[in-house]
Amino acid sequence: MSGSPQSSPQNLPRVSLRSDLRLAWLLTRGSDRREWWRVTLTAVGAGLATGFALGAAALASVSGWYRIPFANGLLDEPGTRDGVMFALLLLLAPVLGFLGQCARIGAVHRDRRLAALRLAGATPWQVRRIAALESGLACLLGSAVSTVFSVLFMLRIGPPSAAAWLGFALVAVAVPVLGAVVSAVSLRRVVASPLGRVRRVRPATNKGIRALLLATVLLTAVAALMVATGTRGRFNGLPLIVFTLVVLTGMGAVWLAGASARLIGRLLATRARSAAVLIAAERLRDDPWAAARSHAAALLVAIAGTGFMGVREVLLEGLDPKYAYAPYSPEDLAFYNTGLDLTAAAILVALAVTLGGLAVGAAESLATRRRGLAAQAASGVPREVLGKALLLETALPLAPAMVLAGIGGMGVSTWYAVLAGDGRPAPLLPLLAPFVIYAACVLTAAASLPLLRRTVRPAELRYT
Amino acid sequence: MNHPTDTSVPLLAARDLTKSHGRTPALRGASLELREGEILAVTGPSGSGKSTLLHCLAGIVRPDGGSVAYGGERLDRLPEKRLSELRRTEFGVVFQFGQLIPELTALDNVALPLLLAGTARGQAQAKAGEWLERFGVRGQGELRPGEMSGGQAQRVSLARALVTGPRIVFADEPTGALDSLAGEQVMSALVHTARETGTAVLLITHDAQVAAYADREVQVRDGAVVPQGVAV
Amino acid sequence: MIAMSTRHILLGLLAGGPSHGYDLKRRHDERFPQARPLAYGQVYTTLQRLVRDGLAEIEGTDSDGGPERTMYRSTDEGGRELEKWAAEIAPPAPFVTNEIFAKVVVSILAGGDPAAYLQAQRTAHMERMRQLTAVKTAQGADLATVLSADYALNHLDADLRWMTTTAARLTTLTTEVYAS
Repeated sequence: MSGSPQSSPQNLPRVSLRSDLRLAWLLTRGSDRREWWRVTLTAVGAGLATGFALGAAALASVSGWYRIPFANGLLDEPGTRDGVMFALLLLLAPVLGFLGQCARIGAVHRDRRLAALRLAGATPWQVRRIAALESGLACLLGSAVSTVFSVLFMLRIGPPSAAAWLGFALVAVAVPVLGAVVSAVSLRRVVASPLGRVRRVRPATNKGIRALLLATVLLTAVAALMVATGTRGRFNGLPLIVFTLVVLTGMGAVWLAGASARLIGRLLATRARSAAVLIAAERLRDDPWAAARSHAAALLVAIAGTGFMGVREVLLEGLDPKYAYAPYSPEDLAFYNTGLDLTAAAILVALAVTLGGLAVGAAESLATRRRGLAAQAASGVPREVLGKALLLETALPLAPAMVLAGIGGMGVSTWYAVLAGDGRPAPLLPLLAPFVIYAACVLTAAASLPLLRRTVRPAELRYT
Repeated sequence: MNHPTDTSVPLLAARDLTKSHGRTPALRGASLELREGEILAVTGPSGSGKSTLLHCLAGIVRPDGGSVAYGGERLDRLPEKRLSELRRTEFGVVFQFGQLIPELTALDNVALPLLLAGTARGQAQAKAGEWLERFGVRGQGELRPGEMSGGQAQRVSLARALVTGPRIVFADEPTGALDSLAGEQVMSALVHTARETGTAVLLITHDAQVAAYADREVQVRDGAVVPQGVAV
Repeated sequence: MIAMSTRHILLGLLAGGPSHGYDLKRRHDERFPQARPLAYGQVYTTLQRLVRDGLAEIEGTDSDGGPERTMYRSTDEGGRELEKWAAEIAPPAPFVTNEIFAKVVVSILAGGDPAAYLQAQRTAHMERMRQLTAVKTAQGADLATVLSADYALNHLDADLRWMTTTAARLTTLTTEVYAS
């Protein structure tokens, strides 16, 4: 540790930063397998986030009609390009959910280690910086890999403009910095006490969420002002608005997922008749936010998926020569089809990332509770009951969220059908989407059941 | 310390148990008998195989060799489903800590084995309440394990182990995480209740003062039970 | 409890008021459960010595219908002596008197089986600990009983722990005993 707790870290900032960095590296290197999982998966998430953001930045750097030799001319028009940008920014939502789940891997272990650092005399600021460096480094790794590949790709297309370079540099730096900042902020309660947290105690009001909300509202206001005054044109204002909308929707979804989990937990805890429901309900009530981020992402994907399927059906019918009012050229058809395929691909990627987050969360929850679960199995609680509780933990809070997503998505597609306006009824096929996504989420949770089998081994009972 | 007169047929009998964890042998031919209603202490230094012996006897772990007989059934041969059922209905288990579900209240934790057996929630809670009362922790019924003292949590664990009216309670260092006074309260609660209900107790401990609560003591050393009554 | 002074305990019991020998014995056995009971003869000779040293005096006799009994009471000097004794610390184990250790060493010297002896001693210790635990946990046991049983249990437990470590080091001890 550099210096006593009394000496302010401002005295020798360079030396202490370097020693903190060394300490962060030592701790990461010496940590157990699960922490390596966290670092690896965080890097993967950061890489995905960087990739999507870089794509958006590259598209934003182009103005007006510009020939891009990809996607059947979809990227040539400013209008559709904005759409693709919107989709790319939207993809950040599930990635953030995924990163949120990754941060939980080995969290108990890490919290304990940081508390030990505090006991050994590190200042809260130092501990926070060490932890921030750890996540920052992981994010830097992901962002670096992603940036290198994106730059190579850009160079193949043609010489990037100065604006593109600037955008790239901004994104490549912003991802690790944001990762470090978020990790420092989320650790504020752990570093407060050298004795660490004995049990989860959640503050009554979440100042962090409020601050984030305030920042988002301010950002929206600034963006709106910029668009309204029109001084810098829509190119700079629109992505900001879009991003703000994404963040706001995401936060709303997280809140909805958490709040519904808590409500369901409370309602069922008193009414449960079977052991599995009781255990699941009490766990939801105890920590409704545990899976809220993943569930929120699933919710958004379900809305987008349902809406998209509706829009797609209406659009394709419109393109069908049978109904067509004006004949479309093959180029036009390819253009529309590519657009639809790209959107479908984006939604599938989002779903995959979301399911990845869910799987990580389920595995982590099992790993953290392995001793308790082994004790339950030893005292005769059947493994099926434990497994059922695990599935219910995912299935219960997701059910109302999926109903809501179905309604939202159907709203979008119905609205679009009405807009297309030839009196045809809104397609019903999209109603399948929430069910399919729900099933996928529950199946992902079920995929962690073999892990449960390994977890409840009596070897876990051998405590020291 | 008055056993039932018929001590010829033991309630639980293990013969020549062997068990290895990987390459490390934990049990090398351990034999032991537990009589009806008897409180038996199993003592020995740490690493001697006490816990593994308990795991084999309670049907938590299948031994590599040897036999465990319980009321005409061979525990070492039963399928996991039946073992789980036995542990839930005929055995009670108390560990050093960890057997309470942290998210459930004390009352629901005690009611859990009854719920698993198909008892209605209200009825299960009423019976769980009686058992909490018996162990002097009725007032803690709405608390969760993290909100109780170690001694209170262990008494809730005892209530959970005994609520189904088991024939044997397996206790692995039940006072290991407690100070001596809380440990005494837990032990006398366990012993008094076991005698009242005629429940046999297999008590694993490294503490002679805890072992002194039992009717009889056997020692485990290097994975085997030391022969008793070695005369001077 | 070996070094416990009967003189001072009787003086302490007299501090509450005059009393006769039989009553003192009864109160002693009540107040110190699990201790070795006082013999009446011992009470009588101790009281005589207290009178001789001026720490107690004869109050008178009291027949109370039955046989005649001599009543004793504490003097001022007796009160001072008692105060001094109660405040004095008990010397913490000035000599190590360990019969078990002596038996182990003698057993090695005589070519006996010290391990078997230790095992048997352990069994005896455990039996006594079970008795004391039963006394302590019996319904309605008063605090004096619990505390005196605890005292003995802790000492027996210390013996047991010592025996366990000794049993594990018998080989080394044997070599050492034979070498010297």
